[in-house]
Parts: sequence; C-alpha cells; structure tokens
Amino acid sequence: MPASLFPPYEDLLRILPEIVLTIAGTLVMVLEPALRPERKRLLGGIAIAGLLVALWGTAVANLFRGPAFHQMVVVDGFATFFRALVIVVGILAVLCSIHYLQRERPDSGEYYALVLFSVVGQSVMAAANELIMIFIGLEISSIATYVLAGYLRDDRRNNESAIKYFLLGSFATAFLLYGIAWIYGAAGTTNLVEIRRVLSTPELAPPRFLVGVSAALMFVGFAFKVSAAPFQVWAPDVYQGAPAPVTAFMSAGPKAAAFAIFLRVYMTAFEPISNRWEPVVWLSALATMFVGNFAALLQNNIKRLLAYSSIAHAGYVMVAVSAHSEIGTAAAMFYLAAYAFMNVGAFAVVTHFARQGEKYVDVDDLAGLGHRQPVTAALFSIFLLSLIGIPLTGGFFGKFYIFKAALEAKLYWLTVIGLLNSAVAAYYYLRILVVMYFHEPGEAAQTVSPVAPGVKIALWASAAGTLLLGIFPSVILDFADRSAALMK
Amino acid sequence: MLLLLTLLPFAAAAVVAPLWSRAHRFAAGISVLVPLGTAVALLSLAPAVWRGEPLLEPHAWAPSVGVSLSFHLDGLSLLFSLLISGIGALVLLYSQGYLHGSPNLGRFCATLLFFMGSMLGVVLANNLVALFVFWELTSFSSYLLIGFESSRLKARNAALQALLVTGIGGLALLAGAVLLALAAGSYEITEVLAAGGLRQHALYLPILLLILGAAFTKSAQFPFHFWLPSAMEAPAPVSAYLHSATMVKAGVYLLARLNPALGGGAEWPLLLGLFGGATMLIGVVVAFFKNDLKQILAYSTIGVLGTLVLMIGVGTPDAFKAMAAYLLAHALYKGSLFLMSGAVDHETGTRDIGELSGLRRAMPLTAAVALIAAVSMAGLPPTLGFIGKELLYESANHAPAYAWLVTAALAVNGAILFAVAAMAGYKPFAGPLRSPKPPHEAPWTLWTAPGVAAVLGLVLGLAPRAAESAIRSAASAVAGAPVSVELSLFHGFNLPLLLTAAGVIVGGLLYIYRSRIAGLAPRSAPVTAGGVYDRLLAALVGFAALQTRWLQSGYLRAYLKIIILTAVLLGGYALLTRNAAAAALSVSDARFHELIVGGLILAGTIATVRARSRMISVAAVGAVGVGVSLIFVLFGAPDLAMTQLTIEALTVVLLVFVFHHLPDFSLKSRRPVRVLDVALCATAGVFMGALVLAAGAERPWPSISSYFTDNSRDLAGGRNVVNVILTDFRGLDTFGEITVLAIAGIGVYALLRLNMDEIRRREGARTAPSEAAIPAATTAPDRETP
Repeated sequence: MPASLFPPYEDLLRILPEIVLTIAGTLVMVLEPALRPERKRLLGGIAIAGLLVALWGTAVANLFRGPAFHQMVVVDGFATFFRALVIVVGILAVLCSIHYLQRERPDSGEYYALVLFSVVGQSVMAAANELIMIFIGLEISSIATYVLAGYLRDDRRNNESAIKYFLLGSFATAFLLYGIAWIYGAAGTTNLVEIRRVLSTPELAPPRFLVGVSAALMFVGFAFKVSAAPFQVWAPDVYQGAPAPVTAFMSAGPKAAAFAIFLRVYMTAFEPISNRWEPVVWLSALATMFVGNFAALLQNNIKRLLAYSSIAHAGYVMVAVSAHSEIGTAAAMFYLAAYAFMNVGAFAVVTHFARQGEKYVDVDDLAGLGHRQPVTAALFSIFLLSLIGIPLTGGFFGKFYIFKAALEAKLYWLTVIGLLNSAVAAYYYLRILVVMYFHEPGEAAQTVSPVAPGVKIALWASAAGTLLLGIFPSVILDFADRSAALMK
Repeated sequence: MLLLLTLLPFAAAAVVAPLWSRAHRFAAGISVLVPLGTAVALLSLAPAVWRGEPLLEPHAWAPSVGVSLSFHLDGLSLLFSLLISGIGALVLLYSQGYLHGSPNLGRFCATLLFFMGSMLGVVLANNLVALFVFWELTSFSSYLLIGFESSRLKARNAALQALLVTGIGGLALLAGAVLLALAAGSYEITEVLAAGGLRQHALYLPILLLILGAAFTKSAQFPFHFWLPSAMEAPAPVSAYLHSATMVKAGVYLLARLNPALGGGAEWPLLLGLFGGATMLIGVVVAFFKNDLKQILAYSTIGVLGTLVLMIGVGTPDAFKAMAAYLLAHALYKGSLFLMSGAVDHETGTRDIGELSGLRRAMPLTAAVALIAAVSMAGLPPTLGFIGKELLYESANHAPAYAWLVTAALAVNGAILFAVAAMAGYKPFAGPLRSPKPPHEAPWTLWTAPGVAAVLGLVLGLAPRAAESAIRSAASAVAGAPVSVELSLFHGFNLPLLLTAAGVIVGGLLYIYRSRIAGLAPRSAPVTAGGVYDRLLAALVGFAALQTRWLQSGYLRAYLKIIILTAVLLGGYALLTRNAAAAALSVSDARFHELIVGGLILAGTIATVRARSRMISVAAVGAVGVGVSLIFVLFGAPDLAMTQLTIEALTVVLLVFVFHHLPDFSLKSRRPVRVLDVALCATAGVFMGALVLAAGAERPWPSISSYFTDNSRDLAGGRNVVNVILTDFRGLDTFGEITVLAIAGIGVYALLRLNMDEIRRREGARTAPSEAAIPAATTAPDRETP
C-alpha cells in the first residue's frame, strides 16, 4: 500500500530531541578540523547548547504524547523522564570534560560529538517501544561510549578499559540480539505492546520455553548494561581505566537508559510471564548489592570504589524492578535521577582532584581537602551523604521509595538485606569523609589548584539537584508516579 | 509554630558557624538564646497540652508517598522537648566555658544546635518517615560530635562505631515504619495509634522486631550497649546532652510513643522486660567496677535506660507514671553529673576517682552541685530521684506478671546505684585533697549550668506538684488513656520505703567495701559485645576480600566465562521448562554428502581449538564457515550461502591482519583450568544445540516460503523466486548486506595500509617490533587463545 514517504509532522516533533542532538553532533564533527587547537573549547560550548536545545525539545515532544513511526517509538511520561535525565547527565559530563580535555591535551572535538551521539542513543532507548529500536539505541549509545572509554589513546589504562568494555559489551549485546530474534520468532512481532498482547492471549501464546529462553537471553544483555550481577564484572575495570569525566557519564547516563529499556521490556512485553523472571531479578538484585558493597569496602582507588558503589546502586534499582509494580517503576525512576546527580557530582570532584594524568585517585590523597578547599569538600560531602542515603538528600528518598515499593510487593527479605547492605555502604563512604576532614593535608591536597569553571558549575548543579530531590522530592516524585504506568 | 520551633535550631546552626570568627559574642549569644527561647515557647504552649488539648500541625512534604512534615505536641512530646531545649540551653552555656578559646568552638556549637533541631524533630514529628529522617540526623550529628576531637584515632573509631550501630538500628526503624504504615494504612503516628487491631496483624511480629531493633540500638540496650561507653570519647557537654539526657532516650521515646499501638500482648512485655531488665543490671554492675568518672556515669546511664524500657514493658499506668518521672529525674541529675565530671576533668586533668579526693576544698560550688545531683541519683529524699524511684518500686510491686522478679531486680539496681552515686558525686570531693594538678574553682559557666539542673531536681522533689501535670500528660500519652498522677515525697511506711532503706544500707556497705569487692571481679569478660562487634567487622572485611579476589580477577577471559555460564544457566533453565523432551536427533535420514559436510565442520572446530598457532586457528574457523555455507547450498539457499561465504572470507582476512599484531601464541593456563574451560564450552555448545533443536520442533507461525512462491509473480513480476526475494521482497536486506560488506572491505583495506606502513617503517629503522596496537592489560599479563 502506497503511503507518503514523509512522516507526519507530529512524528517528527516526537523525536525532536534526537534530531537536535544528531545535528549538534554532526556540527561538532564538521567544525572540528576547521578550528585551531586553542579554539576547540568552542566545541564544548556547541555541545552544551545542543544539549540544552534538546532538553527544550524533550519538553516540546512531551506536548505531543503518543506513538510515532508506526509505534516504533512512543512519547510518554516515562520516555520524557529518561530523555531529560540522560540529556542532563550529558550536560554535566560535558561541563566536567572541557577542563579535562584541555588538561590531558588530546584536544580534539570528536569527544563532544561522541558524547552527543551517545546521548542520542540513550534518548532513543528512552522512547523506544520496539525491540529493534531498543537495540539500535543501545548500540548507538554503546559504541560511542566504547570509544570514549579509550579516548586518550596513549594511556594504557584507557586502552585496557576500552578493549574490555568493547569486547564484553559486544558479547553481551549479542545475547540480547539473539533473544530479540527468538522472541520475534515466537511472538511474530518486535513491538512491545504487541508481544504483550500475544503472550497474554492463550490462543496465540507461543511455547513457554521459547519466551523464557528469549527473556533469559535478553536479561543477559540488559543486566550487563546496567552492571547487575553476575554481569557486573566489567564495570570496575572499565570505570577505573576510563577518563574520569567519561566514567561520570558512563555510570549515570547509559545506565539510566539501560534501566529504562529494561523496565519497559519487562514491564510491558514480558509482564505476562513476570512470575518467571521475578525470581531471577530478585536473585540478581541480591547478588548485585552484595558484590558492589562488599567489594567497595576494600578499595583505595576512588574511581574503583565509586565503580563498585555504582554496582551496588544498580542493585537497589534492581530491587525496585523485582517489585514489578507501578510504584516500583516510579521508585526506580526517582532513584536513577537522584543517583545521576550524586554520582556525577562525586566523579566531578574526582575529575577536579585527580590532576594531570589522573595522578591523585586514591582515597588517601584526599587527606585534608576539607581544610584546603572547604567548599569542594562540602559539596563532595553532600554527594557522599546522598550515596549513603542520609535524609535531606536525594539518595534518602530514593532508597526510601525503593524499599517501600519492595515491602508493598511483599519482598521482605530482599528489603532487609538491602537495608543491611546500605549500612555496609555507609562504612566506605564515611571513610572518604573521615580522610577528607580528619586527616592532615597531604601532598595532593597541598598542591590542589582552584576548581575549573566548568567543573564548578557541574558541582554546584549536581549538589543543587541532590538537595532538591532530598528536600522537595515531590517535584520529581509526582512526575515519576504519573509516568510509571507504561503504555500496554 | 512547631515547624518553626524545629527549624529554628537548624537555622541558628547555619548562622552560628560562619558568624563565629567575626562576631564571637553575638554568635555565642544566639547559640544559648535559641534553645532557651525554644524552651520558653514550649512552656507557653504547655498549659493547653496539659489540659488535654494536644497540638497537631500538618505540613505537606511528599504527599504521593505519604510523607508529611506534620508535628504533634502532646504530653510525651512536650516532656521530651522541654528536656531537649532546656538542657540544650544549659549545655550550650556550659560549652562556652568548657571549650573557651578553642578555635573549633563555633563548629561545636553549630553541631550541637543541629543536633537539638534533629532531636526536637524526633519527638515532635507526627509522621513515621519524618521521625526516621530526624532520627538519622541525630545519629549523624552524634557521629560528628563524638569524633569532634578528630585528631584522636580513638575518638574517630568510637564515632564510627556509634554511627554504625545506631545507623543499622535506624534502617530497621525505616523498614519497621514502612511495614507499620502498611499495616495501619497511614504514616501519621496519630492515625497509626488510632488504627487498632495491629497486634492481630500478620506483620505484627516483624514490625515489633524492627522497631525494637531501632529502639534498642539507639537507647543502648543489651547487647547493643557497647557503643555508649565508647562514645565517652566525646567532650563532656556532648556526653551530658546526647549520651545521657536526650539522644539515647530516643529509643525509649519511640517505645513509649508506639506503646498504645504495639504494646500489650505477649511479646511486647516479654521482650521489653527481658532486655530492659538485663540492660539495667548489666549497666549498674559494670558501672560499680569502673574507675573513670565518665565510664561510671555512662554505664549507670545504660542501667537507667534499661530501667525505663523495663517500665514500658511492665505496661501499667503506674509504670508509665514511674517511667515519666524517673526519666525527668535522670535527665536532670545525670546531665549535671556529666557536666560536673567535665569540670573536674578540666581542673584536675584526670577523671580517675582513685586519684581524686577532697576536691570540695578547692571547688566548693562544683562539689555542692555534684552532691545534690548524686543525692537524686542515689534516690534519697528530698529529690525528684527519690520520688521517681519510689514510683518504680510501687509499680513493680503491682506488675501484672512476675511482680516479685521485677521488684527484686529493681531493688538490687537501687542498692548498687546508691553506691555508684556515692562514687560519682561523693568520693572525689570528700576526704583530704588529692589531685594530679592543683585545682581551682571552675569558671561560672562550668558550675551554673549543672547547678541549675541539679537544683531543679531538688526543687521538684520538694514541690512535686509542679511536675505533676507534665508527668501526668506524658504518662497518659504512653498509656493511650488518661492516667491520674499525684506526686508527693512521702507515701507512708510501705514496701517502697522499706526497699529504699534496705538499698541505702546495702549500697552503703557496697561503697565502703568497694575496693575489696572490685578485687573479686574478673579483669576482663571472656565475651564482650564490643569484641563481637570488632570480630564482625573483621569478618566483614575478610568476606569482602575473598569475594573480590574471586570475582574481580581483572582477567577478560574470567569475565567472559561468568557471562557465558550465567547465560547458559538462565537459558538452560528456561529450556528445561519445556514439556516435551528435546526433539529426537536422527542421523539415519541424513544423506552421505551431508554427513561429509558435517564432518568438515566438526573437524574445523576441533582444529580451531587444538591449533598451536593463531593462523592455523583462523584458517580452521574459515573452514567451519565454508562448511556452513555448503549446508546452505545443500538445503537450497544459494543466496544465503553466497553471503555467508563472502562474510567468512572477509572475517578470515580481518582476523589474520589483527592477529598479526598480537604477540606469539603460548599456552599458559594450567590443566585443571583447561578442563573446566572445556566443560563450560561444551555446556554452552550443548545449550545452543538443544535450543535450536527444540525450537525447530515448534512451529508457532506458518512458513513464509509459500507466500513468496505464490506472490513473486503477481506482486513483483518475476519468475525466479530467489531473485525476487533478493531484489524485491528483501531488497532492503540485500542493500544492508552490501553495505556491511563494503564497510568490512574498507576495514580490510585500512588494515592492509597500516601493515604496509609498518613494514616500511620497520625496514627503515631496524628496531624491536612495535607493541602499539596491543591493549596493555595491566591486570592480565598473560593471554590465552581466544
């Protein structure tokens, strides 16, 4: 049947953020060779401008809620939430990067283009309503991130990080793709809503084992991307090796987007077989919290410590997923937002403090920062307290909401173990606080330079976000609550 | 109003610290006047509350999750908040003298104010989550205050220990609060208390245990009591304020607050009685054997906290009355004794009662204050301590169960407490003057503050009617029903008075023969709760080390194995749920040439694995690919075969170029590891094979091939179905394949050029082979075949 090749006007508006970001990314690529090295900072400005316009585009797209491009993408509250989240993470990451790139001197503009393209992928993931779109979004985001992880080509740590991330990541996505193939074979469609309809209609339902196998294979892919156990193994090595601002970005944006698709697929398409995947997610949540928190106890490298902590936080979100309820979804959304602010903020401090060549990345190096740079230390404390889950920070409400959802879903043991885990976690975050405030300033703190303007903005913005979510949680909470009912 | 009262100390804390360096006197004034003003404001609200008109003040916070900042001022909250603000004012006044001239005084006062706000929040909050929030803030400010002298490792460890213990308890409170709200249908405490029927709820026991966990850790009940003596590393004002008068009573407050909803039944009195009673006796006995003034006071505080918990467990209106009266008396005398111990330490440089005596000669005012407080602690008339203790005996005597046991325990406690009071408030001041350094009378700030508290205990003892309404309305709030209270110093000659008299005699003897009795005590207990805590912490770290070594080796191959293994387990499990057995594998109908091709594939696979050189491996992989292409040909899919063949060729070329850069191949893993690897790979292979076979047996959708044969002519106008599929039905697929091939081709070209460049360079400068393209695996120095 002949149809107009040009998509309807509303459909284009529904993917406005992706369009804007792609244009901005391409612009950066085109301008890059034309700029002299000292002018390359301009590219960071273009990236931020593009991201800000994309944020506006997200708001515009939100006015035109509904499916687009033959149900391949859908703009709903959920999509808007995650689009805004990944774009904000992108902005914060670029702010941290401008100074970093000047310092480490591979000052080439592809960096910003890669960030923008990665955000495009994540944005697609947020709005994808169909397995192929999910896969495409995931790959766009991942490939850009693989390159970013190894951006400093002459740095051995960067190289190791990138190659591990790339090899393991491609391997895990292959499982995802294989799972997609199987569910397409079983259900005859890749549209999530359609899959759900087929699975929940007894006359149409394909053999259970086929659905189970595809759900299991796709779980491998998703769990890898959100660094849930036992697929968390890559995260510490990759986070430690990658440039600090890239780690900040990786640990927040792609993770949030991966959780978005994880939630959407399992809460819509595989919802009819939730009794079969719930125990798996339950176990994974449990293992993720344990592995992350207990391994973090021993770390002295702060990037690696935060990597393990980011695994542990993925575990908490997995608790929300295993609640498989609307309040669980809303809790996961809120938590990911709070987590993005506090984690990017913490990595911004690491970016600032590490100095050229990332020389100072041990916890002990922070000794006496509280005396040398009280403001930076105070902001860092806010992020750490939020990571612990102390009240008046976003981390507290996030945890509260997740455990409330879990208890309402009668996941009593998981909640108890989760709570005990957060007590363990307090131990290693507090250690940083103790070193920062209670130890005599060491060489690293003596020589610390003033905070670069970009990093400063990122720090203040993250702190503001963390406190806002902790003191006035309703701003985000109500939106998450309203958006948790996914299109079914 | 209540919101304002709660937030005011926080605001003051934010102002005081930065202001201190610029306007020291002004900031000091604020930090004393804010708690004082709060106390006055509360007193102005008091008459209405005492008349039985509690104040309820809701504020929205996060309505979608049921969290509000609502406040509630009833008798119990009022008693606590008066103590918090009143003693807060005294302690802040005292701190000005105690830390005089310290550069950190501003920070200290700010933290104390922050704590005061949090503690007011705990007792005023009418929402379970808000209560938890403030509860955690008190733990956190306690952490900051214990570790205030941060240069001392002991102080830092004590701070962390206190935070971990009370923090875990706080998390229990969070879980308990959410469950309680689930059961009662609301997060508002007033509604929870009105809900009724909670004792019959299925979740009652978990709720109870979690709430008790929270209360027991916070109020230092056995076996969680060990953090409180360690917390004595804090400066004296902190010990007086947080660790005797207010914060440690938060657990008692929580139990008292929730008593109408959770109390009664069988578990509540049993658990509270058991733990409270044990804590009471352990606390007071250990206190008796201590020499350090602050340790004596700390352990006796633990004992009193046990007494209060025990009273809530007894659960009669009389017991609540005794609890409220004793709580007030204890806060007054213990607060002043702690402050006094700080003054003694300040002037003499020691807190060891063995080294101190006769201080009354040098410090008469401090001695007088200490004596008044000690009289109240010993439970002698005419003090509030006496009235409180008489009420304890009275209610124990009428306890609904085990009255004799409770009475006996309380009597033993009373006797030892008498001796302990004498040790703390009499011993250092009596006799000839002895002190490591010559003492002087403390500055006025150091004795006024404890003096006010001690004298208040005395005045309330002489005129008990003044405290009547406060105690009555507090006891009524705990009981959930009106309780009548009449306080007087003399109740006639009855059992309580008899027990008091006996206690004085036994306690006096204990005090006199203390040195001899102390000689009998074992030097150290074989098992201490603190030791268990240390061992648990060590075990935690040990477990962490083990787990991390095992899981995070840094080797790529180990990570791959984990991914494969889990994927196979998950998928295999799903596959096993299939009802029918896997489709039977039949070789009998296979044709001869098919078997040959199959053999080729198998041989290729084995050669890939067994090969001793990468190039042979790559060639063997190519052979496998060719075999697969042949299968496609045999089953009538030439287009697929063509694509496969091209892809295979390109892959082999790419692999050759990439592997060319890798160092020489060597076999490094040990034999058992290789055997395990083989097993893992075999399992993965079996899973994949079984999956394909099982899926092949199912055909949920009709085959598409008939559609192509039926429509290739009508829709696409071609008779060669394969051509039509390639160029029309799947035209976009073909286009995609071409694109992929083209990109792969470009990749091969790029690699070729790279290689040529390198060869040229190597010929130019005969140096060692470049390693530039090798990922420098810092954690994985040895490599195996992929």
